[in-house]
Amino acid sequence: MISDALSIARKEFTDTITSKRLWLIVGVLLLFSVASTYSTIFRVITAFQQAGRPVASVFSAIATTMAYMAPLLGIALAFDAISGERERGTLRILLSRPIYREDVINGKIISALAVISLAVTLSSFAAVSISILLHNIAVTMDDIARVCLFIVFSIVFSFAYYAFSLFISTLSSKSSHSLIISIGIWIFFAFILSAISSLIATAVLGPPPVRSFQAFNMSQRQFRNFTSPSIFPQEYLDYMRREAEISSMIQAFSINYHYTQITSLLFGYATRPIEFSRRTLTSIPTVISTRLIDIVVLIVFPIVFLFASYMIFTRRQEK
Amino acid sequence: MKMDLAIEVENLVKIYGKGGSGIKALDGISMKIPKASTYGLFGPNGSGKTTLISILVGLILPTSGNAKVLGFDVVKESVEIRRRVGLLPEGFGFYDHMTALENLVFLATLDKIPSDQRKKRALETLEMVGLKDRANDKVSTFSRGMRQRLGIAQALLKDPELLIFDEPTVGIDPEGAAEFRNLVKSMNKEGKTILMSTHLLYEVGMVCTHAAVIRGGKLLVQGSVEELYQSVREAKGYRYELRVKSGIDMLLQEIRSISDVIEIKQNENHVTVLSRREIWGELLPLVSKPQFKDAVESLKPIEPSWDEIYRFYQEGG
Repeated sequence: MISDALSIARKEFTDTITSKRLWLIVGVLLLFSVASTYSTIFRVITAFQQAGRPVASVFSAIATTMAYMAPLLGIALAFDAISGERERGTLRILLSRPIYREDVINGKIISALAVISLAVTLSSFAAVSISILLHNIAVTMDDIARVCLFIVFSIVFSFAYYAFSLFISTLSSKSSHSLIISIGIWIFFAFILSAISSLIATAVLGPPPVRSFQAFNMSQRQFRNFTSPSIFPQEYLDYMRREAEISSMIQAFSINYHYTQITSLLFGYATRPIEFSRRTLTSIPTVISTRLIDIVVLIVFPIVFLFASYMIFTRRQEK
Repeated sequence: MKMDLAIEVENLVKIYGKGGSGIKALDGISMKIPKASTYGLFGPNGSGKTTLISILVGLILPTSGNAKVLGFDVVKESVEIRRRVGLLPEGFGFYDHMTALENLVFLATLDKIPSDQRKKRALETLEMVGLKDRANDKVSTFSRGMRQRLGIAQALLKDPELLIFDEPTVGIDPEGAAEFRNLVKSMNKEGKTILMSTHLLYEVGMVCTHAAVIRGGKLLVQGSVEELYQSVREAKGYRYELRVKSGIDMLLQEIRSISDVIEIKQNENHVTVLSRREIWGELLPLVSKPQFKDAVESLKPIEPSWDEIYRFYQEGG
């Protein structure tokens, strides 16, 4: 019954928003977001200013931080959601009430969705507002629309990790195991897979062709045309493109990759050296149409794991 | 005459795991628990008590067999059962960051107690278990015994027709255990049915009107406490204890002459008589004779101990 799920969700929501764990993550997210705008803004603002959108550098810095912190938020809410109840013995007390097992997991999911939405929205708006004030940047309606879209995708991204961690928590009888596995998967997707994909690409393609240029001596015009044949020989550019294709194919297994693909296009920042020349903002409809597959993956991923968690939890027999 | 039953179990089997490697936790258990009884389910650890209780409240599904609790099927109508049954599960816990009252009010919400009555009912149950003065303390500050009492309070929240306690006195100090037994007795007087699992034999003897012995997933025996005593008495003999003074040789001779007396043991001023049949009707007039009246201080039948009952049925009854 929905009223039972809502009763559980209400308790879970109150517990979470009064927990230190949540505010620690939100605080770190906010701090890193604002701090990263400082390091980013001076590095790339010139290019964006020339494109007429200095605010994009702020957003891109926040998006980069969010790419690391949103999964942690999801994991923090989910790793002990079921296993913790099992460990504490509270699951036995809950399941001895006249409720359905579905109500317990539904309540937790509703609460988590509310907390993630609140935390991501608050921290994103706070980070954007603080950064805009600090760097004295004018904001357009298009920028606000991009931020709103970014928040939606970040919520889904964080929720994807929540769903995955909930799945592990449903299977596990110990929260410590659930936490280790969830964090391990995050580390793998966030850091290790990109390194592995580059290694595999290099192994497949062989060493890159020898290049003869001095990046440090580039003029501003040359920097803007970073990937032009005048700077890089065509042979080298082809190699880099092929390497990027292989790397992307491997990284497509990572939910982080799909999220980064969407946000990078949304805020016009580069995710790899070959894309340095892309410093113009794509229109929002184009972002959505270009990154439709990434968006679908981002939505399907949590649905799959939520469904799996749901099936396991409702069928598992707890003495 | 048809007995009014709170719980009826028929040939219940539970196998954990699949295939040949599955573990048979319950092996064809059938039992009948009358309404308004205090039913003790005794068995050693791992005998299947918790599995049976979990099936009865619909937490796990039986592999085969049927069970009805208060007339509701455990597989199809488990929510209806949990609406009417208060359960104290084994190894339960509470939300430590919340107070005792907050925990109970939250659980009362899930028990469908109307919102205007939740707090009142929570305080009532806390008072019943002697925790009212700790109502606003966080559960994290509670001792194990206090948590156990809070566990009993949560089972009482919905004022259930049937209470199921799984190892209720584990972790409680002797005083708390005695209080619990008094609580069980008073609830039984109110007409509630109580099913209590324990691995402590003396608990069964102290509070139960009915009992069952379970071992290795099989029910060795069940019935009223008197029926169980009777079975053991019939098999092992009736025992009586006399507390005597000196000069009882004549008395002992007369007792020996009662037919079916098997054994008479004297240990200083205690005499134990063992007979094949009930001889109370013959012993009492005998010790009341004027020549023995002053020599005998007391006479009483000795009930078989729960250790004996358990051993008796474990050995095949």
